[in-house]
Amino acid sequence: MRLSKCFKHALNMVVHSQLRSWLTILGIVIGVASVIAIMSMGAGLEDDITSRLSNSGADIVTITAGYSRAFDFGPGRDWGGGGSVATEEEIVLDRSDLQALRGLADISLINPTISGNAEVYYLGKKGSVRVTGVDTSVWPQITTEEIAEGRMLGPADSNVIVIGGSIADGFFEKPVGLNQMLTIEDRAFRVVGILDTNSMEIVMPLMATYQVLDDKEMDVYDSFVVKIKNEDDLETAIANIEEKLMLTRHVTAKDKDFSVSNPKEQAEIRAEMMSSMTAFLTAIAAVALLVGAVGVANTMFTSVLEKTKEIGIMKALGAKNRDILTLFLLNSVLIGLIGGLIGIFFGYLLSGFLPGLMGQGGVAGRLASSSVVTLQSVILAISISVVIGTLSGAIPAYQASKLKPVDALRYE
Amino acid sequence: MKKLNLTVKPRNDFNGAKSIISLRNVYKTYQMGEVKVHALRGVSLDIMQGDFVAIIGASGSGKSTLMNLVGCLDIPTKGEIFLKGQNITHLSESRLSSLRGRTVGFIFQQYNLIPNLSAFQNVLFPLELQEFNDSLAKKRARELLQLVGLSTKLNNLPSQMSGGEQQRTSIARSLAADPEVILADEPTGALDSVTGREVIEMLQKLWKNDGKTVIMVTHDLKLARYAHRHVELKDGEIIRTENNINMIQVKNGGNKK
Repeated sequence: MRLSKCFKHALNMVVHSQLRSWLTILGIVIGVASVIAIMSMGAGLEDDITSRLSNSGADIVTITAGYSRAFDFGPGRDWGGGGSVATEEEIVLDRSDLQALRGLADISLINPTISGNAEVYYLGKKGSVRVTGVDTSVWPQITTEEIAEGRMLGPADSNVIVIGGSIADGFFEKPVGLNQMLTIEDRAFRVVGILDTNSMEIVMPLMATYQVLDDKEMDVYDSFVVKIKNEDDLETAIANIEEKLMLTRHVTAKDKDFSVSNPKEQAEIRAEMMSSMTAFLTAIAAVALLVGAVGVANTMFTSVLEKTKEIGIMKALGAKNRDILTLFLLNSVLIGLIGGLIGIFFGYLLSGFLPGLMGQGGVAGRLASSSVVTLQSVILAISISVVIGTLSGAIPAYQASKLKPVDALRYE
Repeated sequence: MKKLNLTVKPRNDFNGAKSIISLRNVYKTYQMGEVKVHALRGVSLDIMQGDFVAIIGASGSGKSTLMNLVGCLDIPTKGEIFLKGQNITHLSESRLSSLRGRTVGFIFQQYNLIPNLSAFQNVLFPLELQEFNDSLAKKRARELLQLVGLSTKLNNLPSQMSGGEQQRTSIARSLAADPEVILADEPTGALDSVTGREVIEMLQKLWKNDGKTVIMVTHDLKLARYAHRHVELKDGEIIRTENNINMIQVKNGGNKK
């Protein structure tokens, strides 16, 4: 029989097959969908990290007060809300630290920042927004964010702000455009720029920020964002910064009370963490796929048994062993392929949801917007499902082809 | 009844006819657990081209085994079988299959249509196996279903047809690849007497008008009266081979459908 006819009959077998075949297909769908979803997440993650490494400047180092491995959660940060009052014991970064850093040859730019939450009003609506005060002459050169509309802050700016894309679009009832006025803690600011990110942040001149955030003391900073002169000397520069600050702050390596982030190290740690998570999830997905494959094999065995008499009839009508083999193998491949295609579709949907399910916060949350269904993973999933179909169908199809017509015809 | 594209041969003179199937001292033994069952013991038989033979016998006489061998569905334990002069005893299964597909058309007691295929697709199936040209095959399948009076049921699945209709579909299917031999195994066994008679008359017409060699296996002596020649089996041996002098002949053109 011609291959096209075999294909037609195999498709007919799938279409006319019982619920069982569809359940088998479901097994493959689940396996392929999870593989696709996880691989897409992994790919998205890779893109994310790569772009972070290249854009976000591997030459930017952040110095915060307090010693913690996760620099983001150092005690130097004030998470807003309540009026936490700076006590004498509180560890802070101040003017002397800034002076010390200015004296380092490794550093080309220093952006001292403070940040906190502030009440923001716009056309009668209010909300709590994170505001960050920056050195307006340094920030445009050191930030990794890009302006979508308007301009960056400049050295002469005082009562103007740059807002994140999310603040502009969705935060208040009406979108905030350029030159609109926002009221932050009773002071009015004009919007001069909108950032090209989903950020919910307002960037403003440092001096204005001190006035807006009550609990901040003049010349006390939350962090220094520092640009290293030569990216290749990052390690040395970090070592120099640490040495210098330890000296001015009168601390040793043991009771160090500040942290210097290493962007490369962080990216590496994150990449490592995410790749092992992806590997773990892929392993689970692979198990799902394996179970699906066993399901196909099981269905094919049952199907051959069920169709024994039909096989006998086909042979009586002149079907060769090869015809029967091709027919059943194609049937199995089709089950795999249909499962694979539906699986890719669901995997694509899932890749949008999964990071959200894993929690919006942190790395996973960021992935929600960045998972990528690559052509590579689609091709891989299709080939895997076809291979599964072929392998699981091979033995049953061979058995079917070897049936003796007399015995098969007699089978009830 | 529409004629098939075959030359009509003279019916009553077989002196010049060639043997289309020959069995030479054929034995068939089955192993049933520890017991050996001798289904056929030394059967020799010549079936002439263009003959209508009824193989009769009680159940267990070996007639089904004989049918399987004659239809190339099985090979003998001992002895030789010739189909159109070719010794098929040692043919590979695939060679046997393609020979069978071209030469023998089967009609079964339980119709044995493929349940997922429509009447039309069932008739088409042997043609697809023989890799016929697509449009020719479809044309032929349609013609054959018309021939058996089922032109309105082309797209019915077997489950949507009566027993008689299914058997007529299976007759159309047996004719699809234009085989020389039609092998019918209790073709009316599952049908009521009226539809049964329609079917047997159809078989006789195939023999009479279209020159097919018809071999019918039955235990029903009434049915056997439609055949031209009787071969009677008992306990795996042929006990009687003779022309049927009381043959019931369907009048030419007197078809009901």
